[in-house]
Amino acid sequence: MTTPIRIKGFTNEVLSWKPWLDPVDVGTATPAQLAALDEMSPQARTSPYFLVLAHQPEMLLQRSIAFNAIMFAPGGMPRAERELGATVESRVNGCVYCASVHAQRFEQLAKRSDVISQVFEEPASAGTTAREKAIVAFSARLGAESDKVSAEDVRALKEVGLADLEILDLIHSVALFAWANRLMLNLGEPVFPAAA
Amino acid sequence: MTTTPYDTSTRLDVIDAAVPLAPSHAIRTLRLQREKVVAATQGSYDAMFSPSVEGLSVAERLLVALHACSVSKAATLAAHYRERLLAEGADRELVAAVGSGAPVADARLRTVLAFTASLIERPIEGDKASVDALAEAGLSTPAIVALGQLIAFLSYQIRVVAGLQALAAAEVSP
Repeated sequence: MTTPIRIKGFTNEVLSWKPWLDPVDVGTATPAQLAALDEMSPQARTSPYFLVLAHQPEMLLQRSIAFNAIMFAPGGMPRAERELGATVESRVNGCVYCASVHAQRFEQLAKRSDVISQVFEEPASAGTTAREKAIVAFSARLGAESDKVSAEDVRALKEVGLADLEILDLIHSVALFAWANRLMLNLGEPVFPAAA
Repeated sequence: MTTTPYDTSTRLDVIDAAVPLAPSHAIRTLRLQREKVVAATQGSYDAMFSPSVEGLSVAERLLVALHACSVSKAATLAAHYRERLLAEGADRELVAAVGSGAPVADARLRTVLAFTASLIERPIEGDKASVDALAEAGLSTPAIVALGQLIAFLSYQIRVVAGLQALAAAEVSP
C-alpha cells in the first residue's frame, strides 16, 4: 500500500473533486456525450469532472484520445517518467488534485515514491538520479516558463541519455497537464478525505 | 460524432506551421511517430474553433486564443490567430487591442479576456467567483466549459510548440 505523503498542501492520497458547474446527467446524455466519456475511460460516466466536460462532447472526445495516446502509448519514455512529468507540472501549477492522482500512478509503475516527496517539497532540486533531475527540471521549465525553453534545455536531457522520442513524450506529457491542471483548477475544487 | 480524417503523411498542421516544421524536417518525422497525438491535437484545435459550438462565437474564441498566446509570448501562434481573426473580418483595432493587452470596451469580452489571462498565467487563482462572473456576463454552462477547455487547450498547444522549437534548435546545433 501507498505510504501517505503530505507536504506543502500536496498529497498522494485519493481525493475527490467537486465541480462548480452542473454536470451532465448521464441518464439523459446524448450518444455523442456518452461516446466521449467512454473514449476517456470506463469510469468516466461516474466522474463529476468528466461529466462537466461532457457539456462539450467533441472537445472531450478529442482530449480523451490525446490523453490516452500521450500517457499510454508503447515505446519511448517509460510510463513512470511520463507520470513524473505530469506530477511536476501539476506541482508547479498548484493543482493538488492532479498531483495526487499522478503521484499515485508514478508509484504504481515505479514501486517507489521518494522522488514524489522531493517534488512536493521543492521541484527545483528534485530527482534521485541525474536522469530524473533533468526530467524534473525540464518539466518545471516547460510548465512555468514555456517561452524560455531552449536548445540548451533539450541538450540537458540528451546528456543524461534521453532519446528524441522520449523527449517528445515528455513535452507531450507536460503540455497535456498544462491543459488538465487548468480545467481541474478552474471548474471545481479538490475535496480531501476527511471532508468528503 | 466523428474524428476529422487527417492524413499525417502529407498535410502540415497548425503545430507544424507554428514551429515551423517543413514536411521533411527531422522533428516532423519524429512527431509522426506519435501519429495519434498529432491527429488528436489537430482534432482538438478543430473542435475548439468549431462553428457548431454555441454560446461563444468563433470570433470570441479566436480573440481568447490571440490574448492567451500574446500573454504567453508565443509569437508564431499569436500570429496564426491574428491572421485568422483578420480573415474572418474582425475589427482591426479590436484585434490590435486584444493582442497588446489594451482594454476593450465590451463588458462581456472584458470579463472573458480577464478570465483568460488569469487562467493562463495564474491557474491556481481559479475560484468559483470567476466562474460565477462568466455566468453573470451571460455565458451558459456549456459556453463556460467551452471557454475553459479552449484556454486549457491553448496552454497545451503553446507548450507543444515551445518544446518542438527547442528540439528543432537542438537539432541544428547538437
